[in-house]
Amino acid sequence: MSKRTDSNLYTVLFAAGMVLVVGALLAFFASALKPTINENKRIEKQQNILYAMGVNENDETSAIFVSKDKVADVFAKYITKQLVIQGSKVTEDAKAYLIDVKKEQTSAKEGNERRLPLFVGEKDGKTFYIAPIRGKGLWDAIWGYVAMDADMIVQGAYFDHKGETAGLGANIKQRFFMDDFIGEHLMKDGSFKGITISKSNNDPKNEDKTDNEVDAIAGATITGDGVSAMIKSELKKYVSFFNTLKTN
Amino acid sequence: MEHIELFFKSIFIDNMVFATFLGMCSYLAVSKKVSTAVGLGAAVIFVLAVTVPLNWLLDQYILKEGALVWLGPEYAEYDLSFLSFILFIATIATMVQLVEIIVEKFSPSLYNSLGIFLPLIAVNCAILGGSLFMQSREIPSLALATTYGVGSGIGWFLAILAIAAIREKIRYSSIPAPLRGLGITFIVTGLMAIGFMSFGGMLTGGDEEAPKEKVVSSKKVENKEDLKAKELKKKELANNSKEIQE
Amino acid sequence: MGLLSKKDAALITDPFADNNPITIQVLGICSALAITAELKASIVMAVSVLFVLGAGNVVISLMRNIIPSKIRIIVQLIVVATLVIIVDQVLKAFAYELSKTLGAFIGLIITNCIIMGRFEAFALANGPWRSFLDGIGNALGYGVILIIVGFFRELLGSGTLLGFKVLGDPIEKTGLYAFGYENNGFMLLAPMALIVVGIIIWIQRSRNVALIED
Repeated sequence: MSKRTDSNLYTVLFAAGMVLVVGALLAFFASALKPTINENKRIEKQQNILYAMGVNENDETSAIFVSKDKVADVFAKYITKQLVIQGSKVTEDAKAYLIDVKKEQTSAKEGNERRLPLFVGEKDGKTFYIAPIRGKGLWDAIWGYVAMDADMIVQGAYFDHKGETAGLGANIKQRFFMDDFIGEHLMKDGSFKGITISKSNNDPKNEDKTDNEVDAIAGATITGDGVSAMIKSELKKYVSFFNTLKTN
Repeated sequence: MEHIELFFKSIFIDNMVFATFLGMCSYLAVSKKVSTAVGLGAAVIFVLAVTVPLNWLLDQYILKEGALVWLGPEYAEYDLSFLSFILFIATIATMVQLVEIIVEKFSPSLYNSLGIFLPLIAVNCAILGGSLFMQSREIPSLALATTYGVGSGIGWFLAILAIAAIREKIRYSSIPAPLRGLGITFIVTGLMAIGFMSFGGMLTGGDEEAPKEKVVSSKKVENKEDLKAKELKKKELANNSKEIQE
Repeated sequence: MGLLSKKDAALITDPFADNNPITIQVLGICSALAITAELKASIVMAVSVLFVLGAGNVVISLMRNIIPSKIRIIVQLIVVATLVIIVDQVLKAFAYELSKTLGAFIGLIITNCIIMGRFEAFALANGPWRSFLDGIGNALGYGVILIIVGFFRELLGSGTLLGFKVLGDPIEKTGLYAFGYENNGFMLLAPMALIVVGIIIWIQRSRNVALIED
């Protein structure tokens, strides 16, 4: 077989043909499936936001979202307002949940003013403020949604990741980790402190809600640090908004 | 300063072999002798140093969402990141084969010592890993990407050099027969990785020691000492083997 | 064995023991270390590799006479990558939940050297049916090791299997934990995967003396 296929011309032609076939195939799949994929992503965002404010179908141990076909109605029912905060300007925007946090972070680096989405939800007479966060874990991106009350006490959290280690960092999206955040304070003595994922707080049941610490996942130090960092840096940007809530 | 930090971080803290366990297959398969390990390690440094910056350019100007904007504002919406795997791999495989052809043509002696490893490199996941990490960690400039590539390559080089030296030495130890060769290599690599975990402390500042890993930490210390002894041996050995070669 | 001749059957059975891709051929180690902290992830990875290796081997085998030898590595890599990306896109569109579970493994599957290794060593020289069997056999042999390692790491590291608390609850101190048993969190870290594989090699070679290296 090493006669015909060794010539340079054949190699070049083969490579060109291969590029065409593969490129066409991939482009076809990508463009044909893009609308469905985007729709799935949109639904997931709504599910995540609702999950953070405690609207979900959780059973004893696992995290279960509002089902796909109901989510649009449920979202409209519970999320009363969607805000976009830009500096000191706050505007309402019914599509704020579609803002891509990653893009905002990059454009902020280029000197543009960051657009911060914030979703206001009402459930059982309580008001929730839900903010998206995004950061880096060990391997790739991690992100989540944190629901807070007007005093910046966490009411619920949802975390997700692109490719953290299964069984270790990937556990940030498990109930035992996410539920630990409920009731935890983000403020300390009137100033913003964030929540640190700590290995040394000796509080595995997380009974102390005002220590600004949550028990870490064993073996997932770097992912845990990533979660601490994204909570600190991203939610800090909302502090001034929460301050205006109080003065009004 | 940024460069120095990234450089040392990619060698020690984010060591390809010991921290992220990439490139294990060739690491285990080609570490029987120090001289071959050096050849493969050098080739990995070279290929990483070339492909990471190349793929950085690809990512910046073709793949990223909005990257095509240099073609004109109407292209700003295109997002080709689903192609990144395939383009990165194509770049790597092309580079590897290009290097192979060039080296063969201009320096047959180098080709004889390095050439046989080049095809192995294309399948070395440390190389693709390097490019993918560069993408996901959003390394900001071409120069930093090059630093990152070189640093990661040197980290991999150090790792394979160390294990090859240990394997050469371990040949004369009385290891249970079924464990000889591959088995003990796996276990030694595990111990070395535990040693390298201590570098992780440099990243977080090291102020948080984990009390719940008490059992573990005593183990760690032993292993570190083991490793130190091994490193010493390794140095001696490397010197010896150099003399022999000369 | 009505369907398979003896020689063909050996293609499937050999990789289980005497020619195991992980413990003998030293292929596919990276993924064996990266994802075995959990039994579920090990199983998902084993099934994905079964699919990719089976299909990839057939494709490469069909193309074996037209691939120019100078660029065969590129061609092989592109075939795997294309297969994996298409599967990923289809899953994202029609089985979004499943694709989230698999998403983290995509890179690991493409760079899994077991795939390249079998393309190079077998599919380039054999017909599609035999290549298919070889792919399935090797993927199974790989999967078995992954599942064994995943089983021990999850059981000893987190005290669970597939997420079920089989040893009791470590915080409430029930089951084994009532007697002072503690999870060994160290099992969850990647170095322990290396050591567990080392022990598997030890056991395997002490049962089959012919495999011992000198």
